[in-house]
Amino acid sequence: MNPIVSTKRFSWPALIVVVALAAIAPLLVSDFFLNSILTKALWLGIAAASLIFLAAYAGMVSLGQVGIYGIAGMAYANLVLADGGAGAAWNPYLALIGALVIATVVGLGFGWIAARSEGIYFLMITLAFSVLVYYFFSQVTGLSGFGGINSVDLPGVVGSPETDPVPRYFLTLVVAVLVFLGLGALSRTAFGLGMQGVRDEPARMRALGFDVTRHRTLAFGVAAFVAGVAGVLSVFYNTRITPGSINLAQTIDVLIVAVIGGLYRLEGAWVGALTYALIDNYSREWVPEVGNVLGPARFNTLIGVLFLIIVLASPGGLIGIWDSLMAKVRTPRRAPAPKPVPQTIE
Amino acid sequence: MATPATAAEPAILRLSGIDRRFGGVHAVRGVDLEVRPGERRAVLGPNGAGKTTVFNLISGEFPPSSGRVELFGHDVTNLPARKRARMGLSRTFQTSRLFAGLSVEDNLFLGALGVGAGHLRMVPSSKDGRLREQARAMASQVGLDSRLDDLVMDLSHGEQRQLEVGMALVAEPKLLMLDEPAAGLSRAERVKLTEMLLGLDESITLILIEHDMDVALRVAQWVTMMHDGAVIVEGTPEEIRGNQTVHDLYLGSGLISHE
Ligand SMILES: Nc1ncnc2c1ncn2[C@@H]1O[C@H](COP(=O)(O)OP(=O)(O)O)[C@@H](O)[C@H]1O
Ligand SMILES: [Mg+2]
Repeated sequence: MNPIVSTKRFSWPALIVVVALAAIAPLLVSDFFLNSILTKALWLGIAAASLIFLAAYAGMVSLGQVGIYGIAGMAYANLVLADGGAGAAWNPYLALIGALVIATVVGLGFGWIAARSEGIYFLMITLAFSVLVYYFFSQVTGLSGFGGINSVDLPGVVGSPETDPVPRYFLTLVVAVLVFLGLGALSRTAFGLGMQGVRDEPARMRALGFDVTRHRTLAFGVAAFVAGVAGVLSVFYNTRITPGSINLAQTIDVLIVAVIGGLYRLEGAWVGALTYALIDNYSREWVPEVGNVLGPARFNTLIGVLFLIIVLASPGGLIGIWDSLMAKVRTPRRAPAPKPVPQTIE
Repeated sequence: MATPATAAEPAILRLSGIDRRFGGVHAVRGVDLEVRPGERRAVLGPNGAGKTTVFNLISGEFPPSSGRVELFGHDVTNLPARKRARMGLSRTFQTSRLFAGLSVEDNLFLGALGVGAGHLRMVPSSKDGRLREQARAMASQVGLDSRLDDLVMDLSHGEQRQLEVGMALVAEPKLLMLDEPAAGLSRAERVKLTEMLLGLDESITLILIEHDMDVALRVAQWVTMMHDGAVIVEGTPEEIRGNQTVHDLYLGSGLISHE
């Protein structure tokens, strides 16, 4: 059912150029752009990367990543000093670690259950998980405040974003690069190669002596950790968290970001997130008013149309389109290789 | 050539009264089979005879509807495939089941890793180096040393079949089961495969499903003939060659008429 995926390795020069550009971005763009476009794209990209990591390397398309990041975000907001929630008033760094541990443990536990199903069933179970997390926090106001937890205490590295968004931007950038490189490196380890084996041929993996369920469970745990990182960063970004920010719409948005970028390459996560953030912010200005059909309020329609076009044009998303363009540019038309002459006649 | 019936060593594999149904299809009916250490056994029979299903029952792909599977002297009837693999059983699949998105070397790396420890290792280690050496050595044994870095999806059919055998061998099995390894190979490739099988370490027990009589009867010391889910004849290659039932079945299905 899945197309055969080869997770190509990225190019270092391209990464260095992108990171260098990102590093000087604060000099080039407005605070608004730095915050609402770039910082948002970076943390949203991490959330999408956790989905793409599972899809590309383990062949598991999960809708549970927002559930996990919701848990991480809520855990963080409850553990530190904040307006609403439990207000445990921990040190923010300690709360950060606590939130990631909780997200990873929940991910491992839930992954252990979900790992037994595949394809559409896995999709449904993970979707149910995200919905469950949303309803849990909507209803347990002791943990989510009335309408959210506000004025969440942030760790020192973030600085005070209202006056200077640059430190938070750099923190998010560094974490995004670490996530990208870390997941890439992981894919080359014994565990990471095994995950790709599970993606391509689970029956062969069993025949070779691997415990496929355990591999899937751990892959889900790793993705949960990454989703947890995105969840905590989203709280840093918003300085608050509400049940509404981890609802079904957000689950679908993260899926859309991943699909727009491309489900088969990690880079796609940030390409998709940047595209999404740009459309989210600027579609109001770009889109002309056309009766009731189009208009500034039609952000979701626009994203939906883009989603549809990309899904139809390239299952590999924008990254896939880029790859096939580059392939055309790089390989000039060659005559087909001559068929080898058989040595014996059948 | 010693026949299994006279050998004194205990069986490495024993099937007793194995049955397997798929809904209405009775794919395997009351099969008894004994294979001794170091033996070279061929399983023959027309398409649909139940040969692959017997392999799946031995490797633990699914359990038998009834009957008992013993491997290396242990009852493994209810043991999952991965545990049987770790006991020293390797198999290939009739239609290649390779990791299409990984390179030849990475495929063989996983083949070598599977029976070892450290499946969940998330950091590079010197153990990886040893597994990679094993993988590369196996690649040259099956004639793929020039394609180490190529993705499996870019290999030809013949190369994929060679890798399929390599994937089973790289785990250094005690019992090796090959399901039609020569299917779709050119004559030259089949000759190479036969040479490779004849050159296998004597300690390896081999069970081979093969339609190509040239390959099967050259490699095997003892032949089990299946039809309609049951074993109908057992004997030496010479006996099988001269057996009328075998001829009827194979000539009837046109399998050796063109040779
Ligand atoms: N997984 C399965 N599900 C349903 N029927 C099967 C399955 N595997 C094999 N069969 C049926 O069992 C019979 C024997 O098949 P098989 O063992 O593949 O034969 P052979 O390998 O000798 O050609 C066939 O009728 C086949 O259709
Ligand atoms: Mg078969």
